[in-house]
Amino acid sequence: MGGGREVSVSLDGVRDKNVMQLKKLNTVLFPVRYNEKYYADALASGDLTKLAYYSDICVGSIVCRLEKKESRSVRAYIMTLGVLAPYRGLGIGTRLLNHVIDLCLKQNIQEIYLHVQTNNDDAVNFYKKFGFEITETIKNYYTNMDPPDCFVLTKFITQSPVKK
Amino acid sequence: MGASLPPKEANLFKLIVKSYETKQYKKGLKAADQILKKFPDHGETLSMKGLTLNCMDRKPEAYELVRLGLKNDLKSHVCWHVYGLLYRSDREYREAIKCYRNALRIDPDNIEILRDLSLLQAQMRDLTGFVETRQQLLTLKPNHRMNWIGFAVAHHLNSNVAKAVEILEAYEGTLEDDYPPDNERCEHGEMLLYKISLLEEYGFLERALEELHKKEPKIVDKLTYKEQEVSLLVKLGRLEEGSNLYKALLIMNPDNYRYYEGLQKCFVLYSENGKYSSDETDQLDALYKSLAKEYTWSSAVKRIPLDFLQGDKFREAAVNYIKPLLTKGVPSLFSDLSPLYDHPGKADVIEQLVLELEHSIRNNGRYPDRTEKEPPSTFLWILFFLAQHYDRRGQYDVALSKIDEAIQHTPTVIDLYSVKSRILKHAGDFSAAASLADEARCMDLADRYINSECVKRMLQADQVALAEKTATLFTKDGDQHNNLHDMQCMWYELASGESHFRQGDLGRALKKFLAVEKHYADITEDQFDFHSYCLRKMTLRAYVEMLKFQDRLHSHVYFHKAAAGAIRCYLKLYDSPLNSLTEEEDNTSKTPSQKKKMKKQRKADRAKKEAEEKSEESSASGNSKFGKRHIKPVDPDPYGEKLLKTEDPLSEATKYLKLLQKHSADSLETHLLSFEVNMRKQKILLAFQAVKQLLRLDAENPDSHRCLIKFFHKVDSMPVPVTDAEKLVWSVLEAERPFISQLQDKTLSEANKVFLVKHEDSLMHRVAVAEMLHVLDPTKKPEAVKLIEDSSNKVVPKNGALGPVMGWKLKDCIAVHKLLDKVLTDQDAALRWKVRCAEYFPYTTYFEGSHSSALQNSSNNLDGETTVNGDASHPGISGSESLATANGKLEAFKNLTI
Repeated sequence: MGGGREVSVSLDGVRDKNVMQLKKLNTVLFPVRYNEKYYADALASGDLTKLAYYSDICVGSIVCRLEKKESRSVRAYIMTLGVLAPYRGLGIGTRLLNHVIDLCLKQNIQEIYLHVQTNNDDAVNFYKKFGFEITETIKNYYTNMDPPDCFVLTKFITQSPVKK
Repeated sequence: MGASLPPKEANLFKLIVKSYETKQYKKGLKAADQILKKFPDHGETLSMKGLTLNCMDRKPEAYELVRLGLKNDLKSHVCWHVYGLLYRSDREYREAIKCYRNALRIDPDNIEILRDLSLLQAQMRDLTGFVETRQQLLTLKPNHRMNWIGFAVAHHLNSNVAKAVEILEAYEGTLEDDYPPDNERCEHGEMLLYKISLLEEYGFLERALEELHKKEPKIVDKLTYKEQEVSLLVKLGRLEEGSNLYKALLIMNPDNYRYYEGLQKCFVLYSENGKYSSDETDQLDALYKSLAKEYTWSSAVKRIPLDFLQGDKFREAAVNYIKPLLTKGVPSLFSDLSPLYDHPGKADVIEQLVLELEHSIRNNGRYPDRTEKEPPSTFLWILFFLAQHYDRRGQYDVALSKIDEAIQHTPTVIDLYSVKSRILKHAGDFSAAASLADEARCMDLADRYINSECVKRMLQADQVALAEKTATLFTKDGDQHNNLHDMQCMWYELASGESHFRQGDLGRALKKFLAVEKHYADITEDQFDFHSYCLRKMTLRAYVEMLKFQDRLHSHVYFHKAAAGAIRCYLKLYDSPLNSLTEEEDNTSKTPSQKKKMKKQRKADRAKKEAEEKSEESSASGNSKFGKRHIKPVDPDPYGEKLLKTEDPLSEATKYLKLLQKHSADSLETHLLSFEVNMRKQKILLAFQAVKQLLRLDAENPDSHRCLIKFFHKVDSMPVPVTDAEKLVWSVLEAERPFISQLQDKTLSEANKVFLVKHEDSLMHRVAVAEMLHVLDPTKKPEAVKLIEDSSNKVVPKNGALGPVMGWKLKDCIAVHKLLDKVLTDQDAALRWKVRCAEYFPYTTYFEGSHSSALQNSSNNLDGETTVNGDASHPGISGSESLATANGKLEAFKNLTI
């Protein structure tokens, strides 16, 4: 763990006035350019989408989309979660993910899921720590990445309170 | 009032006056008409009707009625008073004063008129008149507090401080012992503080201090009490008491620099120029070390020692100051330290020590000699600091590499883009600077500061339309562009004016410059309300200070810039009157395609404007049921075309020149402009005066030299004087010339040579000499060009290891290029110069340097692909969303809706 001092980390919502911060993050974090729908969904998801500030510098984000399931219930899909390279290992990703899990618990959203490239062991292990499980493997999910397959990781929130 | 009327009408007349005072104009108008039905020639009623109409926006009728009323009843003070009020409402104060004086001749003791007159006299700074009027008011109504105070202030303004004190004390003598009542304690305290400040101003220091102590319980403003006390103590040389009091003040506010300055004075350790002997430095060091222990929260106490410490002690203090702020992430650190860059050697020390920090953090994440790791952001702030440091030193390539590294490290910090934009501006690439500023702006659309900064960059890059659009994002809805004018947004108007001027659109440039001039007139105007308000509220110290500020208002730098800009426009207009940019006329300075573009632009603007007006009208009519809406008068000359049609641009220029001469007499530019204007007007003596002023201010300045040579060259080439006036001018010059040391026993050519020898190493001096060589003898053009081209750009000595800094300034080199191109008209030399400068200034668009955005769209381009950090293998990343968007819409990044 780097950072010998306590530095405050805070979360802030995404609004139309600061959405460019999210775009800046995404250009360096992900090999994908997201379309307008991604940002519209992010803005629509309310508190489920957050920017993380490390002593007032925007260094990471979690971006979710709310999806309606058949049976009137709602589930959260984590579109992206990422932290700038120099600021990793400081617990910021954990903080972001915990925020979403807590919020789902409060709002009675019972399912959170996401896609991870099958070779991304670090990510899979990271999510497993929070109680996510591989529920599906989709072949040829990605069009121009190798490997093209992905796992679906899902966490069901019903009874157990979230461990912090 | 209304005395000549029968009782019923007399009552109606009283109703008019009352309705006017309570702003029930319709009611007043009705009453007036009722009287006029019976007495159609009644002067006072006619006047009052006019005054009422004046408030209902029916000016022409108002003037007609008021004048008619006066004609019918010349002996009525009411009619004269009303006439004065009418003038006053139109800001014609001199006329208004005349009317009031006539009214007072008829009714000398009319308090209302006297009061109105005194306000105008204060406004017009008729100080003797002001004193007289206030005296009369006091004599008439001595039981009125305001009359005492007004009389005292009048004497103070009229430089009779002793008298002012006397009056205030006489006023105090009229008060009961238990004065003031609770609801007037603040006012009374202010009056006392004003009186004490008068005593101090007059030099009665002992008495002031005594009075201060005596009245302490009655002074409400305890902070000012203490500050006044300490100021008096120090002036009386009671330094020990003074230092104790300063320390007490520092407990209240440990970051007030003035307190530290005062404290140093108490220890006799203060010097205006900041220079101290080594002994004094040691004492100061010890003083601040002890203060730092006392005021641990103060940042001033840590910062001030950097100003006086030298050598190793400076280095040590600087490291200790800088390190925690880099850790904390203080974006303003560089501007905090930048005054130190004017101290010899300190910039080098700072560079060295920050580079050491950078090295250490880069390699192991720690400061040297520390075991704990720094947060990752420290590295970012070090790079950010270094970028600004190298920018300041003119090493733009290093600055850019640092800022790029910082952006790569943390791409979300807005300040990084702002600084990069600033570096590019300094390096001469205005359009790249503008697009970076726009990128910064997009990152926080709610931040007015970065929005404004972006607008400024756009104007510097001559993107006026875009700038206007961006600026209006933060104005209220409605007539957006005018809104900037209403807000007196002067930096914008100046920058816009400069840009129009650069692009040759003199009309719009003038519009903007004159708008700024208008703001200053408005500010002068705005003081009017305070003449009565401040006397009533007793904020006397602030009031007198405000009046003094108003007296030197026009020496403010924005006014100076606006006036100079307007004069330049008029000069250009005079030199090439055909260039006036009315659409039909030929415009030689522009290529046909440019002209077409401008025409189109203007047409589009006009169409837009019309559409807007229409929609406004329709919305206005829709709103009509909500009562009258304030409708702004439409600017009849939005593009300044009428301004350009002036008959006599030079006399217009002279108006503003006079203001500059009065208020900015110590500015070289003022007299340069005066020289240019008066040479064109053939006002030889005034031009000579300008030359003398220039020599007085800075005889070694290249422009002073130019004017001197040009002036006498012109004089020498004039025909022999014929008329008496010409002979007189001649004799003055004959008498003055021997006193100009530059010209003693020398021909102009010789003087030119002497100037060259004196300043051989300076580019701009050589250029001035070359230009004058050509002026004196046009056949010497090759020699002049050679003189310029033989100049050498020397490396400024400094021990930084990261590349040399050249001595020439970009601005100067551009001026030289223009001179070669336009004045000496040697295209080959101009081209050679351009190639040479492109080398010195690789980022400059003007010279099309190899790194500038004029040539390539790579390094500073924003729309281009940012290298994508493809590392998806770290924890905390989930792969994503449908990939149909992978070759995503770049435009989306730019077209953020707001």
